[in-house]
Amino acid sequence: MTGAVTTRRMPSVGTAVRHYLPAGLIFIGGIALWETVVVVFDIERFLLPQPSRIARVFVDEFGVVVSAGWLTMRKAMFGFAIGAIAGISMALLTSRWPLIRDGMMPFAVAVNSTPIIALAPIMNNWFPITSIWPGAMVVALVVFFPVMINAVRGLSEVPAGSLELMDSYGAAPRDVLFKVRIPHSLPYVFSAFKVGTTLSIIAAVVSEYFGGSRENLGVYISQQAALFHFAEAWAAILVASFSGIVFYLAVVMVERAVMPWHASMRNVAGT
Amino acid sequence: MTSAVAIAAVDKVFNPGSTDQVEALRGIDLTVAPGEFISLLGPSGCGKSTLLRIVGDLVTPTTGTVAVNGKTAPQARKDRDYGIVFQQATLYEWRTVVRNVELPLEVMGRGKEEREQRARAMLDLVQLTEFAAHFPYQLSGGMQQRVAIARALSFEPSILLMDEPFGALDEMTRERMQAEVLRIWAQTGTTVVFVTHSIPEAVFLSSRVVVMSARPGRIAGIVDIDLPQPRDEVTREHPRFYEKLTEVREILRSVDRS
Repeated sequence: MTGAVTTRRMPSVGTAVRHYLPAGLIFIGGIALWETVVVVFDIERFLLPQPSRIARVFVDEFGVVVSAGWLTMRKAMFGFAIGAIAGISMALLTSRWPLIRDGMMPFAVAVNSTPIIALAPIMNNWFPITSIWPGAMVVALVVFFPVMINAVRGLSEVPAGSLELMDSYGAAPRDVLFKVRIPHSLPYVFSAFKVGTTLSIIAAVVSEYFGGSRENLGVYISQQAALFHFAEAWAAILVASFSGIVFYLAVVMVERAVMPWHASMRNVAGT
Repeated sequence: MTSAVAIAAVDKVFNPGSTDQVEALRGIDLTVAPGEFISLLGPSGCGKSTLLRIVGDLVTPTTGTVAVNGKTAPQARKDRDYGIVFQQATLYEWRTVVRNVELPLEVMGRGKEEREQRARAMLDLVQLTEFAAHFPYQLSGGMQQRVAIARALSFEPSILLMDEPFGALDEMTRERMQAEVLRIWAQTGTTVVFVTHSIPEAVFLSSRVVVMSARPGRIAGIVDIDLPQPRDEVTREHPRFYEKLTEVREILRSVDRS
């Protein structure tokens, strides 16, 4: 190859701009296209509102949608915590008693591929509908299975050589668990957590479509849509996607702090 | 003096009675003196790794006995008599270099101060002092293998078991590592049992080479390597080195023909 020679160097403002420029242009272009299409083809505002209108409504309704978003986000985080703790605890039990693993894994894998969100109306009956519980329980279930399945894999799929070395040191099972199995499972668990953040926001919002207190994001979206207030619904959807992104990034930050040694972190850890 | 390793009439059959039954070893007798550097050499499938793993109590023999420092192999393992190095460095990727070397000491309940001091000494020994705080992924294959050796030696095991430790390295790195292992062996006085399928590697390193034949694995001959110590790059050009290579080759060839 002739001409430009690419070398590794410290990221500068210039390279950062070049890195994010395509995404930025696509974003601006997409919004502009959306705006233009709505105006040029005179699309009814209840079918597809213009971005500029959604932005205006977002500003006007800011207090309402953000407080609704916060309630839903809290539900998602609470459910996520329950699901994650339960999933990890169950995985630890299976590593202590493999019989539990052999008995549970087929069901866990089966349940994991069913639409758990369909349980939302049932949870609304089981728990007080206006409380945080029915939604949080759906979220917890949605998060539980991938976390448990991945944690079990991470705890059990340790390379044979790593275990043989521990054997040769005369290590107790407890040492093998804490010094090898658990650290080995971290990348598996975090990849489930990352999937779980997105799933938990989806589960929280969709479970609210089936009812709940009026201040929730899901209830707000479905009611505004029913009233043909589509710009309001879109503004709330904007909040939902923003919540999902924030949640995901928060988990990524924890992941980077916890496992700077992992392959996926190599560009961050530096050499 | 008690032998470091005494193997008597050992047979190993994997999956006995089933259709995929494999006779890996037959009638193995071998004694290793303390401080000896012994290589198990042979084609793939000759059971040399299995024999090493039997010594290290990672595999149990079907018949026969193994005594290590006058004890049974399981007892020797409990007494932490073995340092093991595999073909893959098998470092714990979530631990820095120094904490990998400390791991055996940690498991053995040694104090923090002793651990740090031992780990530093071992990293000095393998000349990786300045990489103590690195993670394994930041090291080359040869450096990772040196960390594995440092870790295996950290608790001063009386026997170092090495299973094709340089098999995954390029030729240049491999020769450097061989010199390094000899230097460490001379410095520590550890007994080494070394598995390899490289004839020059076995001859260069060992005080004795155990030549094995395949299907089932048997000892075809044992060659004393009386090359002068300490050995270095000059040894590789020594006329006696070539004589020993030839001697080993002829045993391997005679086995092939029979």
